[in-house]
Amino acid sequence: MDRSSRDADFSEFAAAAHSRLRSTAYLLCGDWERASDHVQEGLIRVYVAWPRLVRRGGELAYARKAVVSAFLDASRKRSSTERPSEVDSERPSGEDVAAQVSDRAVLMAALARLPERQRACVVLRYFEDLDVRDTAVALRCSEGTVKSQTSRALASLRSMFESASRDELAVIGEGSLPW
Amino acid sequence: MVNDLKQLLRDNVSSPPGDGIDLGEVLASGRRRVRRRRGVVGLGAVVAAATVAVVAVGLPGLGSDRAGPAAQRPRPDAPTIRLSDAQRASVGRDYEVLATYTNRDLDAANGQYFDGVTDDGLILFQDGPRDGTRLRTRLALMDPATGTKDWLPDAGLGQDNIRPVQLGRHRIVLLSDNGTAEHWTAYTFDRETRSWSTTDWPGLPRTVELDGAQLGPDGRLYVRSLVRAGEIPDGGWPKQEDGDAEDADAQGDGYHLWSVSLSDGSDVRDEQLSVGAIAFTDDAMLWTDRADGDAGRVHVRDLATGTEHSFDPHLGARCNVLGFTASGDRIVMSEYCGTYGKVRDDRLQILTTSGDQVVTIQDDGVAGGVGADSDVVVADGYRQGDDSGTYLYDLRTNRLLHIAHRMSHWSVGGPTRRNEFFWHTPVNGGRGATWWLGKLLD
Repeated sequence: MDRSSRDADFSEFAAAAHSRLRSTAYLLCGDWERASDHVQEGLIRVYVAWPRLVRRGGELAYARKAVVSAFLDASRKRSSTERPSEVDSERPSGEDVAAQVSDRAVLMAALARLPERQRACVVLRYFEDLDVRDTAVALRCSEGTVKSQTSRALASLRSMFESASRDELAVIGEGSLPW
Repeated sequence: MVNDLKQLLRDNVSSPPGDGIDLGEVLASGRRRVRRRRGVVGLGAVVAAATVAVVAVGLPGLGSDRAGPAAQRPRPDAPTIRLSDAQRASVGRDYEVLATYTNRDLDAANGQYFDGVTDDGLILFQDGPRDGTRLRTRLALMDPATGTKDWLPDAGLGQDNIRPVQLGRHRIVLLSDNGTAEHWTAYTFDRETRSWSTTDWPGLPRTVELDGAQLGPDGRLYVRSLVRAGEIPDGGWPKQEDGDAEDADAQGDGYHLWSVSLSDGSDVRDEQLSVGAIAFTDDAMLWTDRADGDAGRVHVRDLATGTEHSFDPHLGARCNVLGFTASGDRIVMSEYCGTYGKVRDDRLQILTTSGDQVVTIQDDGVAGGVGADSDVVVADGYRQGDDSGTYLYDLRTNRLLHIAHRMSHWSVGGPTRRNEFFWHTPVNGGRGATWWLGKLLD
């Protein structure tokens, strides 16, 4: 595969996939600018692996994993330098949020309070609609870990919705929380 | 009323702000990251004697056992060929010569060397240290087409050994052992400002070794510290007929992996990984359990996702893995697998990063490897006879080519661009050497 062919094929893929990837990244990090950074880094990694991906297929799944990995890598870097507190004191509490903003904003605030891997489980399972196995592959962990992390995440989300006096949080079609 | 989690997630991304992703920058960064891989450290001796020779060889099950002790050698668990299966390379058909340089008498004084090729095609040219350079190493960038040399400002390298780490369009990075083998310095030349800077890593353990250092696709330098040396049998290694030690089936050495920034001396990272030999491709890190002995398993980590897998490389029962290199989805392992009578069982085993056997070149006296981002495996046939000299194995076409029948006593080499390679031949009765830079033709 020569470079021009590689670039053309990759560009076509990136143009088609980047909006979806950016949405996933936004749900992971809660910031559109940082989401763009994660997608950019993820796509660079995809470009490097492109000849192999084309031979084997699965470009989108690989790109999704690359973006999640870029997000987790960035989280580790920040945690090693910034040492953020468990809860951002500048961030409105659940009650404040409840009084001021919509349910979807409550969800973003609640997601931000989850540990990164729990948040990733929620996003991959319920936004990307990955099953437990594919989520485990994307996060490089066991299926049991995905189940336990997801269960804890959903319990925390439900608790935060209750604290914010919002209606119950559920996954329609999959029964009520917790799982 | 209930809030549907899935719907809320979708609602939150239903009206994204303008897209800040620069696809052009993605492409440019991707290309840079691919190119960066060419800067390999520690491959010098392996790539050093690249020679082009061309011979088309169909793959599986080739080669015929020769009579005598060679027939006693175990047959590799892979499609196998011999150096005698190679075809002689032809200039103009199989390869072209890009540059040459001759030192008439290296026995009398140190000379000039090719140390690698930059991303923009210039040869890193080293002069000295010798009396004529006041015992200081001088460096230049040489245009291979004209031989014109652009001499770089003095880097203060003195007489220390250097190895090119990265030969980029914008910067050149060399590693120096400072003559101590315990304290390294990275010398970085900014090609735009034409200035040198240095980086040391005081936080690195003093047990870290320069040999085997590898530049990762992330731009960090990966180095190993010895944790466990392979044990020598009680009473020492058995002796061969010629008195040499027979150390086939050695236990192998175990290392701990570290990485460092090439620009920030305080950035030293414990990778918390036990390794033997390590290598990188554009998108993967590969390592064995042990080095210079029984390698154990080969491990592959996808650098984009972190996914890992490992496999049994199916080494011979007595094989010591002495060289471990990789490019694309190919791994090249240079092995010594014992001596039978007076015939060595040396192997160049080529396999995929999934563990599939591609081909093994088995012969008496062969060693080699592949440069990062290259399709050319360069092999030295170092036994005297018709099969001596430099060979190329083309990973794209599975051709084995014999490019030169003799090698000098010195070495040449460093990173090259894709499908380029170095080799060297003797002159002046073996007292001097000619360096060659060639390019394999499609």
